[in-house]
Amino acid sequence: MRNFLEQVKDQFTADKLTRESVVKLSDQLDEPGWLVERRLGAFDLFDKLDLPDPKGEEWRYTDVRRFDFDRFEAPVPTSSTPALTDDLVAKGVVVADFNSAARQHQDLLREHFFTEVPVDEHKFTALHGAFLSDGILLYVPPGVEIDVPLEVWRNVEGGGSTFPHTTVVVDEQAVVTFVDRFKSDDYAAASLCASVVEIEARRGATVNYISLQEWGRNVHHFQTQRFTGYRDSTVRSLAVNLGSAFSRAQVESVLKGEGSFSEMLGLYFADSNQHFAQRTLQSHDAEHTTSDLLYKGALKERSRSEYSGLIKVSKGAQGTDAYQANRNIVLSEDAVARSIPQLEIEANEVRCTHGATVAPVEEEHIFYLMSRGIDRVTAQKLVVFGFFGDVLDRIRLGNVRDELAQAIALKVEGEQSLEVAS
Amino acid sequence: MTDAMLQIEDLHVEVEGREILRGVNLTINKGEIHAIMGPNGSGKSTLAYVLTGRPGYEVTQGRVLYQGDDILDLAPDERAKKGIFLAFQYPTEVPGVSVVNFLRTAYNAVHPDEQKSAMAFRMYLQEKIDLLEIPTELVDRYVNQGFSGGEKKRNEILQMAVLGPQLAVMDETDSGLDIDALKHVSAGVNKLAGPDVGIVLITHYQRLLNYIRPHYVHVLMAGRIVKSGGFELAERLEAEGYAGIGKEMGLSEEDLAEVQDKEGAKV
Repeated sequence: MRNFLEQVKDQFTADKLTRESVVKLSDQLDEPGWLVERRLGAFDLFDKLDLPDPKGEEWRYTDVRRFDFDRFEAPVPTSSTPALTDDLVAKGVVVADFNSAARQHQDLLREHFFTEVPVDEHKFTALHGAFLSDGILLYVPPGVEIDVPLEVWRNVEGGGSTFPHTTVVVDEQAVVTFVDRFKSDDYAAASLCASVVEIEARRGATVNYISLQEWGRNVHHFQTQRFTGYRDSTVRSLAVNLGSAFSRAQVESVLKGEGSFSEMLGLYFADSNQHFAQRTLQSHDAEHTTSDLLYKGALKERSRSEYSGLIKVSKGAQGTDAYQANRNIVLSEDAVARSIPQLEIEANEVRCTHGATVAPVEEEHIFYLMSRGIDRVTAQKLVVFGFFGDVLDRIRLGNVRDELAQAIALKVEGEQSLEVAS
Repeated sequence: MTDAMLQIEDLHVEVEGREILRGVNLTINKGEIHAIMGPNGSGKSTLAYVLTGRPGYEVTQGRVLYQGDDILDLAPDERAKKGIFLAFQYPTEVPGVSVVNFLRTAYNAVHPDEQKSAMAFRMYLQEKIDLLEIPTELVDRYVNQGFSGGEKKRNEILQMAVLGPQLAVMDETDSGLDIDALKHVSAGVNKLAGPDVGIVLITHYQRLLNYIRPHYVHVLMAGRIVKSGGFELAERLEAEGYAGIGKEMGLSEEDLAEVQDKEGAKV
């Protein structure tokens, strides 16, 4: 029994990320018992797990040991599902938010949620498992080709938190493009987002997945994306990081089926005191699999970025062809970019190439352009565009490419006066 | 007020604390072609760079008037907008930036009242390409990347044609070119010369001057113009080398030794 004072206090204090809040959230959503249990199990894990250690390879240079969860209010459940045409519904395509999936597509949900990304991976996936608040389940039946990209918009309020989840299952020979957009206003109060993306491409399927992180300036984002490719499948991903105060993106492609292919593109541009940490994995677990990774980033002012990428080739994954490149261009002396490529190869017939560069904008280039009448900022813009050119050229969605070109231009031009505490 | 386009008065320039130009005086009027000849290390390229405002070149004395205004405080892009152009000795490679995009951006910056759309600019560019007989595919490549020496120099002339400067400084435009490329590049410069344009040809050898005839020839040695004259001065230099003139002009033993050293057996 709570005493009167505690009850009054409850009314005036917003719910924090507590066990009680988990129960309350699940109540609000009127979830079945097994889901409540799962959430609480995840919360207990969250409680038990330590914050990741920066000494470990995966969180190297990203010290979150003093990350304070008490700053954030518990999430408000939202639903942001894209609309389907009648034609697609008739073909058996399923798009459901987490809540309705829990009622109408329980089997799909139980089969696919958290299968690729287990909740116990680290403290943030556990917290995500407890508070999942904006989940989407997309299932594309065999042979169905969806030619219009499906898009969802994620949002968070100042001081709040959100836990978006994207599960995409693309059955044999099916084709889909999915865009996750993370966008909010700039708030003075810090917000938290811990998102999980799980994508399964079955035999011969093609999935294009784009995540656009354009959060407001005081959001802390922990992203975990995992793609699993079965025989002869193609997964193309693009991970964009432009917004937020801090963003850590873990993007993993697991090639489980013979002949599967994964393209992994990354584009980031950090300014002011933004901090982006990126960890990629290209895991080759079957014969004749191909991965092609290109992550490119620009940094200005006092921003920081870390990239660490692992190519892992299992024993028996003969005929693997893996490529990994991380390139950084630094626009100010105070910005720091780190890049750490790693290889772990157990097969013997493989071709693996990797490379990393961190280089300043060449003053020589700027002078040459300026000597033709181009002002310094425009010259920088040309050079930075030139730098991002090969990534932009590989983005198949014209509107996304144009948006990014604009965002890059604004980043070069803009002087970030807004400093946020990290 | 004279109708001089460029007046360089007692110009002293230091690079990394070392005085390279030690009092250069030169006046260029509209429509004139001047050749500045000199041995290696005499300060020719320094003069070219200081006119365009390259960082790292510190003017310690003197002034440079362009159309009556001192330009030494202007940034490189502001000078270009006033009509000053440098054809680089070693044109810079700029990865990922196409020539056509670069040139349109530059054109629109230099001609704010005559902005050209991508389409209109393309047509304008094609006229210049035809005029200079340059392979069209060059402009869709990245600026100077993978260009041969000749292509780089042609690209410089194309840029000059596109921007239409009033004062063009050509820094060793002949260096590294075979005779065919030299003829081609020279023909381009001659097409762009005219009564409203002032041209400064910076060169070590007389060779270029057989194709672009200068009105005046100046000899730059040890950071000063030591002698000026007509075309016959270039011929004399070709025959006698730089040391003879240096001695005649009373250069110090030290400066002469430097010329000797840098020029090697050629003196």
